[in-house]
Amino acid sequence: MYGFEAMTFNIHGGYLEAIVRGHRSGLLTTADYNNLCQCETLDDIKMHLSATEYGPYLQNEPSPLHTTTIVEKCTLKLVDDYKHMLCQATEPLSTFLEYITYGHMIDNVVLIVTGTLHERDVQELLEKCHPLGMFDSIATLAVAQNMRELYRLVLVDTPLAPYFSECITSEDLDDMNIEIMRNTLYKAYLEDFYRFCQKLGGATAEIMSDLLAFEADRRAVNITINSIGTELTRDDRRKLYSNFGLFYPYGHEELAVCEDIDQVRAVMEKYPPYQSIFAKLSYGESQMLDKAFYEEEVKRHCLAFEQQFHYAVFFAYMRLREQEIRNLMWISECVAQNQKSRVHDSVVFIF
Amino acid sequence: MEEERREVCLNGEEEEVVIKDEDKVALQFMDSLHNYLSLSDSLSSTLRQGWLELASARYSMGTSRVNSSLLDLKFHSAATILKITENEDGTQPHFTLQKWVSSEHELESTKLEYKNEQPQDSNSIKSSENLMGLADNDEVQKERHKSLSVFGVLISPKLRATQLSFEKALETLIEIANLRSSLLHSFSQLNQEVEDTKE
Repeated sequence: MYGFEAMTFNIHGGYLEAIVRGHRSGLLTTADYNNLCQCETLDDIKMHLSATEYGPYLQNEPSPLHTTTIVEKCTLKLVDDYKHMLCQATEPLSTFLEYITYGHMIDNVVLIVTGTLHERDVQELLEKCHPLGMFDSIATLAVAQNMRELYRLVLVDTPLAPYFSECITSEDLDDMNIEIMRNTLYKAYLEDFYRFCQKLGGATAEIMSDLLAFEADRRAVNITINSIGTELTRDDRRKLYSNFGLFYPYGHEELAVCEDIDQVRAVMEKYPPYQSIFAKLSYGESQMLDKAFYEEEVKRHCLAFEQQFHYAVFFAYMRLREQEIRNLMWISECVAQNQKSRVHDSVVFIF
Repeated sequence: MEEERREVCLNGEEEEVVIKDEDKVALQFMDSLHNYLSLSDSLSSTLRQGWLELASARYSMGTSRVNSSLLDLKFHSAATILKITENEDGTQPHFTLQKWVSSEHELESTKLEYKNEQPQDSNSIKSSENLMGLADNDEVQKERHKSLSVFGVLISPKLRATQLSFEKALETLIEIANLRSSLLHSFSQLNQEVEDTKE
């Protein structure tokens, strides 16, 4: 099934695979999370994190700390790791690493466009953008009035340009159009990333196909649940699902007509890999669905490290770090709000 | 108090009635105070739930999708209006909340105004909501979705739950304001009665 990656991978990718496996060993363990969950204040969290790889990023932050500060500084650590790997990478790994950031780029574009629509200051919006999704002309997004201008003035020179072909219209930007634009762009990005991984072949194609298919399926379920009771039509909903994944195509047809969470459950339970997700939830409940999906995602990303000589470890590391930052955000919020009894509602242990 | 009653029995029935009115006002004051403290606890727990649900929504949707920089600064009509009316002698203000009000929904605002004039008990508020639910549900849901659309159209159910929690907290705040107004009025009445009795 696989080629002779073991013979040639280390020539160009060996150093960075070693680096990323070293970063993986720096992820927080269950013992670290147990200590963090017992903290009384955000300064206690900072003290516990000082013994981890986040220590240098938080040590100079003055008290009183805010939860957003902890998240920002931990994200800087992720960005530094990523930039170090990107500057050391050669093709095709460098392109693969760039693909990992396109999702953040889409989120930043939508943030700037939405904020501008609501007459917010561009500088304020730029501060809220994810650092992994920044590009040179991002501030110019505030000038565009519709998607055609958005594409012509700014995005034509960015990696997102090919993804705009399906959503260019001359309609003015409003909340619905922006939401459809976000999801259409993300759909095109996932499909493009999937095709790129297939071209790479070998273990990378095998493992990344599974991870991206799960991402596509999860997005389909979230789009379905979030669109229940909104003005989004069934046809529009169906157009936002990616054209790959376990649910494609028959599961998508069923999801497109779902009107409540139990119908979504009935669709997912027909697919054995997803039966375990809904087995953890009671009927009519959707609050814990996100955590169930994150747990499944973490399990799959951890398994990616069980095999050598492929690029999926880089993707898996980035996603695991993002989950770790989400965990830290949740723990910080529970500590700050004095609701430590709820801290285990959303923390997903990685190891 | 005991000595006053004995004096009353010796003097006749008229003064006995005055004492009973004082008791009635005092009891009303204590009842209102009890309701006030209960509602304060209820408000505290509702707000705690709302803030945690907001954190949960940020966890699910991401911090870039749920943050204060997305709130709309464009001029638009208020979704919720607070009206303050006073009684005849201007001593007791009354607070009325009109939720999800816009120029084309004045009928619903009239119904909601009636709802807020019900007895100030959370159980009765819930029962009046049940009576009204069928009439204003669709329009109210549309207004709720419109209000949340600053964060996008496809938002997590957790963010919708957050909205409901803060909405309930706002209703509780208005109840507390009305109770406080009633408390202060009862207290001033009680003081007046006591001073009249001393004279």
